[in-house]
Amino acid sequence: MARILFNKVNKRYANGFHAVKDLTLEIRDKEFMVLLGPSGCGKSTTLNMIAGLEELSDGELLFDDRIVNDAPPHERDVAMVFQSYALYPHKSVYENIAFGLRMRRMAKSEIDTRVRDAAERLEITHLLDSRPGNLSGGQRQRVALGRAMVREPSVFLMDEPLSNLDAALRISMRAEIKELHRSMQTTFVFVTHDQAEALTLADRIVVMRDGVVQQIGTPDEIYERPQNTFVASFLGSPPINYLDGRIEMTAGGGLFRRGDLSLRLPQHVAERLEGQGGRSVRLGIRAEDVDERREGGRDDVLSARVISVLPIGSDQYLGVRFDKQELFFRVGKDLRHKPGETVDLTVDLSRLHVFDPETTRSLIWGDSASQ
Amino acid sequence: MEAEIRISEKSRQDAVGFRRARLRALWVRRMVIFVSAVILSIYVLAPVAWLVSSSVQTEAEITSVPPHWIPEEPTLQNYEAIFLATEDEEITYENRSGVDPVSGGFIPSTAKNLLPAMGNSFIVACAVVVLNLLVGVPAAYAIAKIRFMARNASVYFILTTRVIPDIALVVPFFLVIKNLGLLDTLPSLIITYLAVTVPFTVFILVQYFEGLPDELDKAARVDGCSRLQALIHVYLPLSLPSLVAVVLFTFLTSWNEFLLALMFTQTEASQTLPILLAAFTSDFTISFSFINAAGVLAIVPPVIVAIVFERYIVSGLTAGAVKG
Repeated sequence: MARILFNKVNKRYANGFHAVKDLTLEIRDKEFMVLLGPSGCGKSTTLNMIAGLEELSDGELLFDDRIVNDAPPHERDVAMVFQSYALYPHKSVYENIAFGLRMRRMAKSEIDTRVRDAAERLEITHLLDSRPGNLSGGQRQRVALGRAMVREPSVFLMDEPLSNLDAALRISMRAEIKELHRSMQTTFVFVTHDQAEALTLADRIVVMRDGVVQQIGTPDEIYERPQNTFVASFLGSPPINYLDGRIEMTAGGGLFRRGDLSLRLPQHVAERLEGQGGRSVRLGIRAEDVDERREGGRDDVLSARVISVLPIGSDQYLGVRFDKQELFFRVGKDLRHKPGETVDLTVDLSRLHVFDPETTRSLIWGDSASQ
Repeated sequence: MEAEIRISEKSRQDAVGFRRARLRALWVRRMVIFVSAVILSIYVLAPVAWLVSSSVQTEAEITSVPPHWIPEEPTLQNYEAIFLATEDEEITYENRSGVDPVSGGFIPSTAKNLLPAMGNSFIVACAVVVLNLLVGVPAAYAIAKIRFMARNASVYFILTTRVIPDIALVVPFFLVIKNLGLLDTLPSLIITYLAVTVPFTVFILVQYFEGLPDELDKAARVDGCSRLQALIHVYLPLSLPSLVAVVLFTFLTSWNEFLLALMFTQTEASQTLPILLAAFTSDFTISFSFINAAGVLAIVPPVIVAIVFERYIVSGLTAGAVKG
């Protein structure tokens, strides 16, 4: 049980690479925090700093009210699950799970109880005598989880633990990890570059890019109210579509205009942009925020030419060309369109995102959603 | 509905032809490998076989033409001379022909030094092996797994010391050993052999450790290990093949070393086996069969070491070379 606090933490590697920049972040006690970002964004470095495997260049790292900057990993009461599982190949599954407890000189009987409990829970009891080399990826992952579980750590760290599993297994392991968090009642920090994993698991998500935190919030906040185009693009499949254009203020409210296209801005957006008529903006439309079946009203229809139809089973992705730009939307699978046809897509205006094309920051959610 | 499969007579014949050609090629390949292996084995083993065979022959038989590969009158006189040699049996120029009246072969008075020299060689080799591991393993772990300034530079520096030929180092080594007052002692050999072998040990182990995933090290440390414990509990068991390679390499290098031993040893107190054996060959009156018997004894310990560790040798040497 621990609260983790980063206070203006920087990490510079010996080769000059500035991996984490001025990180200030509070991970609450018993929270499931997901660090999300593309590779090289500093999320794994951040995790390694929590584990004590990387030193801080400057700043402070606190566990509760204890400064742990220079505490070695074994003084921190953390457990970690790695992407490659990192099981000890020369030890049996039992010994792999027991190793951390043995290093802490726990009584043999207590070790045995804990190892068997964990094995039972993860349904790997029949594998206890095997070597990791003989296990499948999913089984190895369970052993790695077991090794961390038995320690009953105050912080549970996971570095892309599901990336090496096949798709079906990944979904079921997600559910298990969530259940593990519920039952263990401890702080989880989970690193991933998979937005779906982040959205399903997290209490809160930290989106990082180039060592800088882009946004911190609940999955809903991150998805519904992205503070900049990077966050907006990183979540959502297919990714959000952008259209550059201008704001036009009229008596009836605000309009987004680009060529023939005219979209009416919802009330809360128009209020935010009061008095900024004529400024150029970047409009964001999430792939699922259009509807082809609904009858278009006034100023909410996007007409475009279909260039590709990509069925994905439950839905289909519709690739359209609008004003020399390619846009992708997610539509119902009962729609039958052929490339070359023109389609009228009714945009869900209430879910529009508006960004400043210069700074890429959101013009709607800018301040209100920051921590 | 099953479709009828039609195969023409011609294609059937072709199929049989291809099969025959494939089997013939396979047979030729096997024969080439077999014959080559036999030739290579003879090339390698014949000198050793002659060494062993002639060591139990008399001087007369050893010089017979054609040579006797299998001795007609095997004798253990050379081995007796080595193992039963005593101080009082002084062999001089006058009485030496009495030693082996049949052949006139001469057993040198230094025969009694052979076993002590073997002992010296063994002590030096074992000490070099142990010290190599004590120094080389932590050094290699640090270089492979800990990021520190001038990490690459230190690897290159260690390797650079091996670019200099040993002969160039003899004089500086001699001065160091002399000033340390260690001339004609076993430590002089141990110290200088370490300088020769440690760079290789570190190099082989660094290659191997680098092939082992960093995450194992991290996992061990999160599991509660210090760096040293991670090395002992995780890395050492996994690097057994390369450790065996290091043990063999360092043992054989020190066992066979000649140049430095020649410089630093003067008496039987520190003389190693190669020095003594070389001295035999420069005396043309010494029986060939005796020299060969001494040679047999010289190869016994390395052969035993090699047989014990045989199953690890190949994987150890390649595992270091080909990085996963």
